[in-house]
Amino acid sequence: MADTNAKQMAQKSAKIAAGAVVCVESEIKGDVTIGPRTVVHPKARIIAEAGPIIIGEGNLIEEQALIINCYPENIMPDTEGVEPKTMTIGTNNVFEVGCVSQALKIGDNNVIESKAEVGRNVILTSGCIIGACCQVNTCELIPENTVIYGSGCMRRVQTERPQPQTLQLDFLMKILPNYHHLKKTVKGNATPGKI
Amino acid sequence: MASLLQPERVNYLVTGEKKIRSPLSSLYFCRYCSELRSLECVSHEVDSHYCPSCLENMPSAEAKLKKNRCANCFDCPCCMHTLSTRATNIPAPLPDDPAKTTMKKAYYLACGFCRWTSRDVGMADKSVASGGWQEPENPHAQRIYKLIEYYQQLAQREKLERDRKKFARRRPYMPLAFSQHTIHVVEKYGLGTRLQRQRSGAPITSLAGLSLKEGEDQKEIKIEPAQALDEVEPLPEDCYTGPVNLPEVTTLRQRLLQPDFQPAGASHMYPKHKHLLIKRSLRCRKCEHNLSKPEFNPTSIKFKIQLVAVNYIPDVRIMSIPNLRCMKESQVLLTLTNPVENVTHVTLLNCEDGDADDINSTAKVVVPSKELVLAGKDAAAEYDELAEPQDFQDDPDIVAFRKSNKIGFFIKVTPQRDDRDVTVSFKIRHDFRNLSAPIRPSEEGEPPSEAVWLTHHVELSLGPLAP
Repeated sequence: MADTNAKQMAQKSAKIAAGAVVCVESEIKGDVTIGPRTVVHPKARIIAEAGPIIIGEGNLIEEQALIINCYPENIMPDTEGVEPKTMTIGTNNVFEVGCVSQALKIGDNNVIESKAEVGRNVILTSGCIIGACCQVNTCELIPENTVIYGSGCMRRVQTERPQPQTLQLDFLMKILPNYHHLKKTVKGNATPGKI
Repeated sequence: MASLLQPERVNYLVTGEKKIRSPLSSLYFCRYCSELRSLECVSHEVDSHYCPSCLENMPSAEAKLKKNRCANCFDCPCCMHTLSTRATNIPAPLPDDPAKTTMKKAYYLACGFCRWTSRDVGMADKSVASGGWQEPENPHAQRIYKLIEYYQQLAQREKLERDRKKFARRRPYMPLAFSQHTIHVVEKYGLGTRLQRQRSGAPITSLAGLSLKEGEDQKEIKIEPAQALDEVEPLPEDCYTGPVNLPEVTTLRQRLLQPDFQPAGASHMYPKHKHLLIKRSLRCRKCEHNLSKPEFNPTSIKFKIQLVAVNYIPDVRIMSIPNLRCMKESQVLLTLTNPVENVTHVTLLNCEDGDADDINSTAKVVVPSKELVLAGKDAAAEYDELAEPQDFQDDPDIVAFRKSNKIGFFIKVTPQRDDRDVTVSFKIRHDFRNLSAPIRPSEEGEPPSEAVWLTHHVELSLGPLAP
């Protein structure tokens, strides 16, 4: 009995690749896949209710960030015949403190700054920056290297994409395990109970 | 909280050159004249120029030379945020062996807010951390210099004429943009500083003679009048038909921030030198005493002199407003706070009929008929548990409560009009002991700390009638 429970739990819980740092205090629900070298801070929330979430490599998900694959307003959770849509997040993206992302497709090297909100129908290509407190919930594909900033959500295109946060990730991967318990990675799950 | 969150609810009338109604928190009190002063009836003087970013001080002559901008700090041309210098390592070929490369420090400007960088517009990186940014030359610079020269000459001539008439006996006041009537244009067209620096007491004749000579020495400068063009450059053909690429086009604000270039495309936005700020002191027009004088150092936010009204004049605040109905009397609870350390006696008076100041009130008001006594302010009273409660013989019908230097009292308000918000006004008369006032002329024979009675006209806006 306990074994089957544990199996179900293992199936349901997140698939965390080796080398990722995911704190226990983060909230991860549903079918979530987290790639290597991705750091998830305590109190970050990743919730896959309307479909799986696949997070790539080298992403930084800070405190109180919310990444949610939720049902659109017109579809109730119990509506039948709805194909679950997968949310994919590429590599080297930064989700800063308190941001909310519902975008189903996020490319690489994007930054969603603090308290920014990205709607479900937005597609972030790569190198985009959604500035602090900017809310983007249009139905569009945001071109590469777009910066959205300021209270009026002004837009500009920058020449360089934001630098990947390699140093910060390295630092966090070194320092976070000193003060937090981590969720087990795939490798750890494969051999449970062994010392 | 009325003075912090809703300061416009209680206004005091200042009877200066012009009548100003303003919250107490934005007023000054000249203790030499014993009168309220508003920003409109004081003279504003520039103490010093400084850069808000690097806090560097600058004498006014230098500031003028640099067009009131800081030499080292820049604003983002895109979002007007302050730019920061960023350092990176770039590979550079070694001077003795071009095949090998070495890491070299390079600096560029970057905006932390909208992520604009000087690389975006193709400005080359610098090898030094500060300075050395090339600046685009204004195509009209020559014409502008010529015009300035010409107008300076005109101003000089006007000045000479005025001096001959012994007309100029005024200090240079700074015209403030928001001030409606303090504009004394003494410094016309940025005339040299030497002439305006003279104080009113300086002998005018000698100076006039001197500048006369100067005027003779100078050559007459002629300018060509501007020519009106019959034809202007036609718009590009696709102006109305081509799709607009919004990120490529500058906004009106971005364009007007660089009036000399007014770039239409985002690729021509160059960093702008940061505007300097000033430290300013305020001076009473009547007695010429300073009402506010900041410390000189830009890093300091303190004042040497700061005669703000909230430190001297009892503060009336609205505590609670009942539902107000037209022609019905209701009681409004007000508080009165004593900001000074000695006991203050306050009498409230109704405005008399035909009072010229009483133009806004839309309700009848009945104020307490008895004198209100306010205890002195004691900063330590809050922490002094052993302090004996003050013994004031309060009439409970008038004074609702009393707490250290504050009392609460009721006024009776009867709104008279059903189409307007309720505004009441009354006079507040209180004694004021000028503890640190200058010693008065001895012929008056009064002790220096004699109480003076001050009367202020106060207006309260109590908001709309209850529905």
